[in-house]
Amino acid sequence: MAHDIMVIGAGLNGLVAANYLAKAGKRVLVLERRAMAGGQAVTEPLGSGFGVDALHAGGQLRPDIVKDLGLAMPPTSSDPLLSLLPDGQQLRLTADADARTIESIARLSGKDAERWPAFVQFMQDAAGFLDTAYRTPMPRLPHVSLAEGLPLAKLALNLRRLGPRDMFRVIRALPMSALELTEEWFESDVVRAAVSAVAVHGATLGPMSAGSGYTLMHNWLNRGGPGHQRVEGGIGRIAEALVSALKARGGEVRLSADVKGIVVDDMAVRGARLASGEVIPASTIVSAADPRHTLLDLIGAPELPPHFVWEAQSIKMRGSVAKVHLLTDGNHGLPSGTLVIAPSVRHIERAYDAAKYGQMSQDPYLEITTSGPVVSLHYQYAPYALRDQDWGQERAVLERCAVNTAASVAPALKSSIREITSLTPLDLERTYGLTEGDLNHGQLILDQMFFMRPLPGWSNHSTPVEGLYLCGNGVHGGGGISGASGRNAARAILKR
Amino acid sequence: MSVNTYDAIIIGAGHNGLIAGAYLARAGKKVVILERREIVGGAAVTEEIFPGYRFSEFSYVVSLLRPEIIRDLELPRHGLKILPLPSTVTPMDNGDYLAAWADHEPTRREICRHSPRDAEAFDEYSRVMARAAKAIKPVLSLVPPDPSSMSIRDMLGLLKLGRYAKSLSEKELYRIAKLVTQSSADLLDEWFEFDPLKGTKSASGIIGTFLGPHSPGTAYVLLHHYMGEIDGAFRAWGFAKNGTGGVTAAIAASARALGAEIRTNAAVKQVIVKGGRAAGVALENGDELRASVVLSAADPKRTFLNFVESKHFPDEFVTQIKNFRVRGSSGKVNIALSGLPDFTCLPGETPLHRGAISISPSIDYIERAYDEAKYGQFSKNPYIDMIIPSMIDRDMAPPGHHVMSCFVQYAPYDIEGGWDDQKRDAFGETVIRTIERYAPNIRRLIVGKQVITPKDIERIAGITGGNIFHGELLLHQLFFLRPAPQWADFRTPLPGYYFGASGAHPGGGVMGAAGKLAAHEVLRDWR
Repeated sequence: MAHDIMVIGAGLNGLVAANYLAKAGKRVLVLERRAMAGGQAVTEPLGSGFGVDALHAGGQLRPDIVKDLGLAMPPTSSDPLLSLLPDGQQLRLTADADARTIESIARLSGKDAERWPAFVQFMQDAAGFLDTAYRTPMPRLPHVSLAEGLPLAKLALNLRRLGPRDMFRVIRALPMSALELTEEWFESDVVRAAVSAVAVHGATLGPMSAGSGYTLMHNWLNRGGPGHQRVEGGIGRIAEALVSALKARGGEVRLSADVKGIVVDDMAVRGARLASGEVIPASTIVSAADPRHTLLDLIGAPELPPHFVWEAQSIKMRGSVAKVHLLTDGNHGLPSGTLVIAPSVRHIERAYDAAKYGQMSQDPYLEITTSGPVVSLHYQYAPYALRDQDWGQERAVLERCAVNTAASVAPALKSSIREITSLTPLDLERTYGLTEGDLNHGQLILDQMFFMRPLPGWSNHSTPVEGLYLCGNGVHGGGGISGASGRNAARAILKR
Repeated sequence: MSVNTYDAIIIGAGHNGLIAGAYLARAGKKVVILERREIVGGAAVTEEIFPGYRFSEFSYVVSLLRPEIIRDLELPRHGLKILPLPSTVTPMDNGDYLAAWADHEPTRREICRHSPRDAEAFDEYSRVMARAAKAIKPVLSLVPPDPSSMSIRDMLGLLKLGRYAKSLSEKELYRIAKLVTQSSADLLDEWFEFDPLKGTKSASGIIGTFLGPHSPGTAYVLLHHYMGEIDGAFRAWGFAKNGTGGVTAAIAASARALGAEIRTNAAVKQVIVKGGRAAGVALENGDELRASVVLSAADPKRTFLNFVESKHFPDEFVTQIKNFRVRGSSGKVNIALSGLPDFTCLPGETPLHRGAISISPSIDYIERAYDEAKYGQFSKNPYIDMIIPSMIDRDMAPPGHHVMSCFVQYAPYDIEGGWDDQKRDAFGETVIRTIERYAPNIRRLIVGKQVITPKDIERIAGITGGNIFHGELLLHQLFFLRPAPQWADFRTPLPGYYFGASGAHPGGGVMGAAGKLAAHEVLRDWR
């Protein structure tokens, strides 16, 4: 064996884990089924070949990861969140008390404008707590060892240090709905809706769903505010930086190496079998693929304890995000920023209602980002499991609804379009390997977080198969573009 | 103006107020329990709405009442008699039905008739749920420790909780963690496939909440209803002889026998504060009563925002109480009938008529009912839980006639445009029309009909927002957060003022734990 550890999947978490392992002196081989590294964080040619951030308009690695790995990161810029309203007005939100932000909120409500800086402070505290929590290894209940107990005690202390008022605010906010949370802060429905849009982004939840308070904190942490962190030159540059750092550490990335199965013998990992039939031996495999795919497809139910299989089958994936990319002649008339069409809380909630019954929202919550002439539409909700249609037929409806909704606030858009291309949840599964099109490898819901992620009792990144570890978005710390779960997994493996 | 002096004044003669009063009297304290209405019972009352027809007007089944309270207060000796509510039946659209009994075996056979796979899952599901309910139950009788506090008592409380958690198995702990956070739809989808079974089970996850079965947190409410226990029989539901008012009548009789005084028509206007302490209450009629302890069994909004001026509380506390969610979501339709309705799926009179009849054909049905309520409308096709008390207790209606109690969800307190007579009538009509689909002759049998909206619950029973639990059982309103962080120990920021009702830990249902725990805390401080 030329390597000590094999990593499946060259997404950000896989690459972060690989880097940490290589930094500790391990010889690492990363296998990627696609012809490019990056996973969800890719900038790639779509349609007739125009380049675009295919899935995520922005993102950033946690700063401690950048520092630990000494990465040369591309420059980024913080988008404001602009809520585009039907009357042509805009609401601007940023993670500071910027005069333009305050003035913009004040047009809707003077009271809300006054409260914004305090809200931002609360969100930073909450996000800070979550960041610490995501760094803290979760224990296996109920026998918390001293090694696990100390970081946990630190986490609790961290929380208590906020003082009782803020500590309870954070604890309370986790199971709350985004609507309940924003109602406590703001009187303007437009402000509530814009914040709620951040909360439900990427999650199959509505602003009235319990637990969207948690996803608000999570997305706020990953974005560093209400708008995206845009990566200059495309989000794919983050993966490039990770790949070159890995290579410099002696690691290897093999592209177009589609792992079809993990070879297991006597409940221990022996290697990976590629689509080509080639078997690459390995005694330690770290999978950055989602837990359901890794456990049920790559390992397979027969190799696992029945109860564990049942639990793995019960992981809630149900993605409901679709992307529609438009190549325009440049005269789309859209401002720059993270633009949302989420004019009211009810608008988002009604869009979510459709997803509950396996239908695509006809009147979606849309997030729009532009990059030169390319306009990208993030569409919610487009459920993976359509009840009465299939994605083959529905693609046209998706594209039409997306364009019409975007055009309702950007009159010049329609005539500027030269080409439309879209990614349905089924494409997300087939092209990007995301089971059920779930960007988070498992919904960010309260019963799938912390010590219950990916499965109750298995948040320490290990599995019942000796030598198999999980490091993707579906494990503790994961969800969104942050690299946190990759970092956590590598640390857990190195401790063994 | 007269002045009377007591050791303790209890505001509200609902079951929690009566229980708190009874426990304090039992400890030798001079107690008066004040009730604004002309009858005791709060939301647990039986009233003759139409001559000869008696209704459990609001709360209509008994299950959660703590067995130790029944023992301590010798309720059977004071007239409490609980008759079993043996079954639940869910009519199906195809004319068939799904029945469930308190006994496992017949239920399993019945499920097997519809889905052998679900019957198999039902065995394990029942075991798992019973174990989880048993495991979480001791927590209900606990004064929630304050995790932000450094006091010895709270630290010990946390330690005790931790030690208790350690005594549970790993599986149990994860099961509980999931149950507390999951949606009832997710929980049930993991186990079952048959829609009427999932629909009916999911219904107990939404009762009294402003949530649909797909909302996270509803599995906990389901579990809350799973903890019913009557005379040691786990998970049994019952109906009190003489209606739910029979329960509070027994508690009132016990309280009186223990020496407590109960005054009706005694609406409290304000809590008197002297030297930073609660010192008594002023009644609407001008009377003043003195006591060193005042315990409110009213809802949190009235307890903290109406009875006491805000200046006596910290601002943050007032904000927290203002933010406490009390959105009523359910209504009640009480119907007097000249005969037994003929259910298509249950022709004639059968033993199943002695149990509950649930309109809950699927999870989607209930979720859609919720969708309408979210946007400020009552459900056009609501979830209905019916019982026919006269089938269990013949004294509830004239011979041959019947009374029927229909619990209906969703009917939002904040209906668009506000509740008025027209909307109430339309709501009542919707309920009758829904029942008619399963019992076509019901309309012809109606002798009288009382329609209760959340607004009516507020007006008659005095529960702000009309929420049957005095505050929704949301995760952020449970345990050490109920009714507000740092004040879940039945004390309030105003010394001498205590809080012991459904809005406090452990929450709603005719359970009585809050009243009992609050009385204990009062006595603890007295020492």
